[in-house]
Amino acid sequence: MDISLLAFAHILVAAAVCWLNFIVIDVFFRLPEAGGVVGATAIGKHIEKGGGALHGGYMMGNIVSSPDASAGTLLAACGVFIAGIPGGLLAALLVYIGNRICHDPGYAGTTGCLTATFIISGFTLIGFSPAEFIAGMVIAILTIQGISHRHSSRLLSTLWRVRRG
Amino acid sequence: MTPQEAALAVCGIIAVYAAVRVALEPDTLRKLPFFNVLSFAVAGSIALIIPHPLSIIAAAAYFVGSTLESNAIASTYAGGLDRRE
Repeated sequence: MDISLLAFAHILVAAAVCWLNFIVIDVFFRLPEAGGVVGATAIGKHIEKGGGALHGGYMMGNIVSSPDASAGTLLAACGVFIAGIPGGLLAALLVYIGNRICHDPGYAGTTGCLTATFIISGFTLIGFSPAEFIAGMVIAILTIQGISHRHSSRLLSTLWRVRRG
Repeated sequence: MTPQEAALAVCGIIAVYAAVRVALEPDTLRKLPFFNVLSFAVAGSIALIIPHPLSIIAAAAYFVGSTLESNAIASTYAGGLDRRE
């Protein structure tokens, strides 16, 4: 296969892996439950007013307002791309500091960064480049935050209902 | 095209798309998720363009900074915290 086509195919696989990593961790850490700061709550309510679902909106607000598992996955990919596993661990430390700066009491970002570091390092063993995971994570966040807030918030609310049981 | 160039192309295209969506969205609070996508694409591009250990810190500092800005803008629009006690 042509090398650039292979790179784009890898990016799509990486996007799916990153998407699963950050959604599973964010939903597990109860990001859709409520807004972590006043601003996140307000974003959730505005998304609901635009035809979306409230709990999905809260999670989107929380992603905007503090580095969560999606930011952790992106920075882990950057870290592994530049310096391998130690780079990913440095990224986790920076995400932890970023969470505290943004007044976020949770550990979703740090956990997401650590899991992503090891997942991405594993994928490099089967021919993936960490650079493809950087692009993959940008595509993954685009599907949640950048296309249709109405549909993505409804999807996140559905996942939250499953998590809550 | 190397994987790095392909990744940079994807980040660049998504950054431009997100910037257009930020400009077109009339509701200020709903601009912020699009701005979040833009920050992801720019932070990723920083690491892809400058593969140096310090650029991990640069990308993280840029990303945390932009998140903090979004947090501040959203909280201010929401009326902020009432600290008169």
